[in-house]
Order: sequence, then structure tokens, then C-alpha cells
Amino acid sequence: MLEKLRDDAEGAFLSRWLNNELTPEELAEFEAHPEYKEYKKIIAETDALRIKAYDVDKALQTVKNNNEGTLKQKERKVIPLLATLSVAASIAILVGLFIFNTSKISHDTGFGEQKVVTLPDGSEMILNAKSSAKYDKDWSDNRLVNLDGEAYFKVKKGSKFSVKTANGDVTVLGTQFNVTSQDELFQVVCYEGKVSVSSRKHTEILTRGEAFRRIEAEQEQWNENVEAPSWINNTSSFHSVPISYVLQEIEEQYNLKIKNKPLDNTIIYTGTFPNDNLDVALKTVFSTLDVTYTLSEDKKTLVLK
Amino acid sequence: MSLDLDKNNICKEEVFDTFFKEQATPLRNYLYFKFGDLDQAEDIVQEAFIKLWNNCSKVVLEKAKSYLYTVAVNKGISMMRHNQVKFKYKNYILGSKSEATQESPEFLMLEKEYHEKLKRAIASLPERQREVYLLSRIEKKTYREIAELSGVSIKAIEKLMHKALVKMRKEIGTA
Repeated sequence: MLEKLRDDAEGAFLSRWLNNELTPEELAEFEAHPEYKEYKKIIAETDALRIKAYDVDKALQTVKNNNEGTLKQKERKVIPLLATLSVAASIAILVGLFIFNTSKISHDTGFGEQKVVTLPDGSEMILNAKSSAKYDKDWSDNRLVNLDGEAYFKVKKGSKFSVKTANGDVTVLGTQFNVTSQDELFQVVCYEGKVSVSSRKHTEILTRGEAFRRIEAEQEQWNENVEAPSWINNTSSFHSVPISYVLQEIEEQYNLKIKNKPLDNTIIYTGTFPNDNLDVALKTVFSTLDVTYTLSEDKKTLVLK
Repeated sequence: MSLDLDKNNICKEEVFDTFFKEQATPLRNYLYFKFGDLDQAEDIVQEAFIKLWNNCSKVVLEKAKSYLYTVAVNKGISMMRHNQVKFKYKNYILGSKSEATQESPEFLMLEKEYHEKLKRAIASLPERQREVYLLSRIEKKTYREIAELSGVSIKAIEKLMHKALVKMRKEIGTA
């Protein structure tokens, strides 16, 4: 009997006992054993344990809010923001003309800056922070923008309109869409109409509400039922992206240098942070990651612990 | 198209809701038993379901459960790599509902002490034994179901279960 109750015993005696698979002789022998009572009690008491209740309805609600609520746009906020930004943009266009004085026009945004640009054909481009866009002054034969960073486009109907990035190209006919091309991240969300995305010899047609993404070699598509990208309303949002892109976005939005970045890029982040409130942004991102941090007095350096 | 297709389409809110209500608690408890932190388990459940929703057009209902578990376990492993969690049971594992009893205060004291020892013994189990032991006794899963969940043989599960119980007895005996 003792042999069978050793922890490395063959035959998993106690498992068979729990499953009522012992022979009557085995059971009788076990019941006579001094340890039998102890095992019996352990099982009885374990079976009576409960795990803390789980509010499934509330959890479902949170999942849904995360899908819709945090991404849902508030239409009224767009107008005043665009109005102030268009002033900055027209100044930027003038500067661009003076400096280059060639047929190329280029726009760059600094940390935490956004620009609204009216393109030669009347289409609208909103550049997000730390991004750069270049295009020909004359668009009579093709409509083409070279982009590095992130921008949102509202394209006037007409001939082919293309956005070229280091990661891939997007071609459209009259539509609204958002393009992100940052290091190895390439992401396109179509908000209206139809766009064609080609990246690494792969072409995909996106219609309203569809999104495409490639991070390094991994490609995915999903539905994003929002009216416009969240950063237009001063919120950065992420759908399960490696943490390095989130940290980079914080640096670009707030002109920060982050030190001690985690080396492990398998941490995946889903969530949003505001682009106009540093304290809230840091709290939002780092409390969910369970990371503590110190911000330097001049608010230029953030050290993670 | 046909009603049949809609019934299996997780992008349909009713289908997603039903699936969530059916799977959320078992998944959350599984992650808790495996990784040792109930709050973290609930966070992972949420993230896994958000990911499922975002990819709903690509995952059929029959595959949704394995998709969900794969996403959740990967997430748990990547979190574990950062902070090794000791199995936490305070406020997470509760005793049976104690009805007003006629028992003496001494008896209740002893009961309480035993419960504490029992939970400590569970926490002392190696991860795989703990997972199997709790899935079997608390989630009432069969050895076959547990074997399918962790992709090993039923024999391996029976062995782990036996070992877990032997260790539990030793822990409680000496505590």
C-alpha cells in the first residue's frame, strides 16, 4: 500500500481513487490505511472551495467599451481643432515654398504637432506628430504623396491618388483613410470609399470600416467602425501593437526621451492615451503595464523602472 | 445570407455575447490556476476577447475557443516572463458558504486553520500540478478535458493529479 502512495508511484493510484476506478480490494485496503482519512478530508475541503465571483456582464461591457467607446469620435470636437490647425498649415505651406522653391513641396511636423494641409487637387491631409510628407507642386498628371509617419487623408474624387511609404503603397479613388508607416509598422484604415493597399508584393482592397496592418512579416486585417482616426481628436489609440510603438508615439507626441525601455517587445498593448495631457497619458499607459516611472523636472526625460 | 451562417458568425453581437458569457469564467479560472493571479487573469480575458472581436471575420465559431485560449495563454506567458507571480489566494479563493452553525467556537477555529493550511498547500504546488488539481476539483473537469486543454496525454494528467495530492498531504501534515 505504502508503495502505491509514493509520489512517483506507477499507476497514479490516487487519481484512480478519485475516479472511482479502484478494485474493491484496493479500495478496502486503502480505506484501512491511516492516510486515507487525510486524503478524504483534503478532497472534501478542496471541493468546497469557491473562486471569487466573476461579474461576467460587467466584463462583457468593458470589452465592448474598449471596442467602441474609446474609439468613438465626438464629431463636435473636430471643428474648432481643424480651424486652429489650418492656420498653422497655411503658414507651413508658405515656409515650404520659400525654402525649396522647386516643384517639390514638403511638410514636417515636430513633437506633439499636427498639420492640416490642402493638397494641390483640393484634397485634405492631416499630418500627425513627427511625420513628413512630400509631393509635387503640379498634380496635373498624377496625385502622389510620399509619407513617413502618420497622416489622415480626405481625397477629392478624380484620377488615381497614391500614398507611397517605405513599407508599402496605398492607391485610392475619392475616399478617407489613415496611413501609418513607422519603422516596421504599416497600417491603413479606410473610413470611406475604397482603397487599394500594396505591401511586400501583396495587394489588398479595403472598403469602408476595414483596416490592414503589417508589423514586420506579420499581417492582419480587421474592422474598425469609427468615423476618423482618434488622433484627430487628440487621442492616440492602439490595437494590440508591440509596446515599442506605443513608447515611440509617447515620445513623438510629447517630445520626451524614454529611458530604460523594456527590451521585450512581446508585450502587446491595447488602449488609448490623450495627446494633450502628459500626466494622464503616462498614468494610462504605465499603470496598465504595471511599470513605475520618474519624469524629469523639465519634462523631457522619462525613466522607467 | 442564410440564418445558419449568422448563427456561427462571431461578428454578430448576439453570437459574440453568448460565446463570451459561456467562455469568460472558465477561461478566467483556467488562467488564474495557471498563472496565479486572478486580477491579471481577468485583464487577459478582456484582452483576448477584444482581439477575438477585432478578428471576428477571420475566426469561425468552432475555432473561437482554441483561438481565445491560445491568445490568452501567450499573453499570460509574456506577462509571467516579467514578474514571476507566486500563486495568490487571499480574497481569491473563498471557503464554502458558512451557514449559521451550531458548531463550537473551537471547532470553527480549527476549521479556519485547516482552510488556511489547505490554501497554502495549494499555493505550494508546482505550477502544472496546481493547474491540474484545481481544474479537476474546482472546475470539475474530467482528466480527458484537462488533457485536451493542455495538449498532453490523459496518463500524464493522472500522474500530475496523483503527485499533487501526495504533496498536498505532506504540506498539510507538516504545516
